[in-house]
Amino acid sequence: MSLTAEPIGKPALDPSRWVMWGVAILTTVLVIGPIAPIVAQAFLDRPLYDDEATLTLANFVRLVTEQGIGIVAFNTIVFAVITTVVAQLFGAAAAIVIGRTNVPGRKWMGELLVWPLFVSHLVIAFGWFTMYGPSGYLTLMMRSLTGVTPWNLYTLTGMGIVAGLSQAPLAYLMCLGAVTKADAQLEDAARTVGAGPFRALWSVTVPMMRPAIIYSGVLNFVVGIEMLSIPLLFGAPAGIQTITSFLYEEGIQAAVRPDYGIVGAAALILLLVVAGLVWLQGALMTGSGRFITVRGKASRPSTIDLGPWRWIAFTGLFAYVFFTIVVVFAGIFLRASVTFLTPLVPFWNLFTADHFWLILDNSSYLRSITNSIVVSLIGGVAGTALVVIITLIARRSEFVFGRALEYVALFPRSLPGIIAGLGFFYAVIWVPGLDAVRGTIWVLIVAFMVRYIPVGFGAIAPALAQIGDELDRGARVSGANWWTTVTRIVLPLLKPALFSCFALLFIHFFKEYVTAVFLYQPGSEIIGTTMLQLWAQGDNGPVSALATIQVVITAIFVFVARRALGAKIYG
Amino acid sequence: MADLVLENLTIAYGNVTAVRDVSLTIPKGEFLTLLGPSGCGKSTTLFAIAGLNHATSGRIALGERVFFDDRTGRSEPPERRNIGLVFQSYALWPHKTVADNLAFPLELRKVGRAERDRAIAEALDLVEMGAYARRYPFELSGGQQQRVALARALVYRPSLLLLDEPLSNLDAKLRERARVWLRELQERLNVTTIYVTHDQAEALAVSDRIAVMHNGTIRQLGTPTEIYEQPSDAFVADFIGSSNFLEGTVVERGASGSRVRLANGATIATSAAPGGPGEVLVAIRPERITLADGPGENTIPVTLGTGSYLGSVYQYEVSTPGLNFRIQTDRRVPQGDVFARIPPEATTLFLKSEAPVRNEEAAPVV
Repeated sequence: MSLTAEPIGKPALDPSRWVMWGVAILTTVLVIGPIAPIVAQAFLDRPLYDDEATLTLANFVRLVTEQGIGIVAFNTIVFAVITTVVAQLFGAAAAIVIGRTNVPGRKWMGELLVWPLFVSHLVIAFGWFTMYGPSGYLTLMMRSLTGVTPWNLYTLTGMGIVAGLSQAPLAYLMCLGAVTKADAQLEDAARTVGAGPFRALWSVTVPMMRPAIIYSGVLNFVVGIEMLSIPLLFGAPAGIQTITSFLYEEGIQAAVRPDYGIVGAAALILLLVVAGLVWLQGALMTGSGRFITVRGKASRPSTIDLGPWRWIAFTGLFAYVFFTIVVVFAGIFLRASVTFLTPLVPFWNLFTADHFWLILDNSSYLRSITNSIVVSLIGGVAGTALVVIITLIARRSEFVFGRALEYVALFPRSLPGIIAGLGFFYAVIWVPGLDAVRGTIWVLIVAFMVRYIPVGFGAIAPALAQIGDELDRGARVSGANWWTTVTRIVLPLLKPALFSCFALLFIHFFKEYVTAVFLYQPGSEIIGTTMLQLWAQGDNGPVSALATIQVVITAIFVFVARRALGAKIYG
Repeated sequence: MADLVLENLTIAYGNVTAVRDVSLTIPKGEFLTLLGPSGCGKSTTLFAIAGLNHATSGRIALGERVFFDDRTGRSEPPERRNIGLVFQSYALWPHKTVADNLAFPLELRKVGRAERDRAIAEALDLVEMGAYARRYPFELSGGQQQRVALARALVYRPSLLLLDEPLSNLDAKLRERARVWLRELQERLNVTTIYVTHDQAEALAVSDRIAVMHNGTIRQLGTPTEIYEQPSDAFVADFIGSSNFLEGTVVERGASGSRVRLANGATIATSAAPGGPGEVLVAIRPERITLADGPGENTIPVTLGTGSYLGSVYQYEVSTPGLNFRIQTDRRVPQGDVFARIPPEATTLFLKSEAPVRNEEAAPVV
């Protein structure tokens, strides 16, 4: 044999074990970080930084007896149930109509439908308030036309409908995946035994949406329970409190001195409820194999011709998209551009750029915009790096605690934003030495990253599963250690998924506000916290201007990410 | 260089034992094939040698170098074993060109640039793929990918070449050419090679020795001729080629041969019977049975049933009360009553209790 390369020499320094242990420990610390202080606080009779605090169960007793937690719990559950029912109904119906029929305009309406996912609930709630609130544009218009006010957002039903409609896109996306990826042959088989096209759709494909409906349903229920914006904007004026607005009022607003014990106890209960729901979701999904129809060569199901009915379907779908999405966004843009918004005066007579100038002239408002961008960029990059290493360790290494690391990393699914924020807030004042980062954007970045590890994981893990593990094995046998293998072989192949992960994290960080409400200080404000602040002052014009800026930046980012990075963001 | 020695290798996953107490010594330069049905533990053994699976107990060593030893707790990671492995799917890195695929292992070994380019050119010439260095894997046909995979496994001069069903993704014609070519290349390089396949024809054609595996154990280890002509048990007789198993009872035992009464009442001379009870199976390959013109020694009257044309031979089902078996002939034979002669030297006797269990459908053990 004339090949001259010498057999392997002294092995290069192998950082694999250091990376694995380092990331595993870091992730565990970051995830436990916000939870431990909350558990501690729930059982302490004084603030947890107070040296004289002692263990007690009195917080829970007081929560039940003094604070009327019963009515708060009732409100929360009713609100979440309405949210879920509305979201699932609209989402599933839209998925069937758009995914499987020839309704005109389904392509652009499908695009518009997912837009509520790109912006925060705060922006959406504000849009609804502007158009449909007690003195909203459309409300006043209806009143002047008919003499009555046909709706009232400041009720549990009104809040639930708004929240449900803003969460419907999530159900829509998951159901759309189920109906469009279903094996066409299954419906064809139904056709051959005598079912008409609608019967085949109804009896074969719709039942197969069940896992998607259940999965997104539990997800939306959790979102309903942990939602802050709508209960705060619509519930508070009517005296309707849910668990999150209760925590917000008690934790921040409580006039003189926040009642830490009560807040800790309520937060712990919320944490346990959400963790239980996430567990339930996993339990419901086991054995869903009988619904999985995606096979290698499955052809796409055919489109059903609705005939003249398609115009009826179009009208319904258009009304849904127009009144719950277009009008809501238009309301924000409009309110930002006029001195005041009323149907009595044509709005084009009231155009002004003052609200935008007010935002751009004020250094702290302007800073909230730059902070949001910096947090999303740095957090998106750092979060993607952390998530991809976690995923590689969990799925592609022999690390003994690989599976355990995955469980830990996915736990933040059960961590409501308000709890994550509160927990990090406690952690920063509790742990010596962390005071240096208190109120900086760095603590925001860390908190956001922890909260959205599961989102990134969801973007990367399926892509990783597509890369055959014999590619890594081939590299290992060729002489590469684990770290070299993943950096030289696996990461280049994962590039599209990395971009998608970054884009998703950027969008989530950019719209996040709940996690930040306990963590920010002057200097580290972000768009969402500034909007809440302006809202509390009643400055609706500048709130709208800020919301408009947020929507525009998001739109530019989504456009660029899809075109330049080829990122897959919601379809 | 040195011999590869597997000692009492056992690989278990939970309570499933994929490989049970396998011991093997493979001398330098040998071409050894691990042959068996899917789930027999052959690939598991191969990947344990490569270090991609963790053995449960036993020892794997190449000369002085211990790859794995459960007693000392030693387990070399795969990247330190200096082994070349060709995967069934080839596992060419799709984002690297052919040349870059070969360059990667050399870079890891800190081979200088000029040296590297020369080694790559040599390895590609060896597999006649020199003209394709700048191509990406997806631009190559299956046969070309297979050769590049082989070149990648050889370019860094591994001390051991492992091949995991490397020809199974090629079409039948190409597969036959490739195995001849593979064997020639291996002889030229004189690299110790372990080849995993479930295709017995392939195994017989290329190997110095074959280890037939079943249910995680080695059932027989020997040259292709030994395996084919003197199968050590009924499983091997059944798996290699195909055998008829005729039930019978030993009526006379001798050192060089025995006499067995078959189920139809006829008594025939056979090779020596195994010790133990007299209930036996007489294994005989269909192509070794001949047709005779009339009664004679070791000849039984049978009725010729349906036949099938297999290309080079005809195969017929034959029957006589109590017995059904197959024979092969090189010409078409009209249906009816004929005489079949069973040569004593072509028979192998096994205890009936060892009757082969066909469990190819058993769940594969990964």
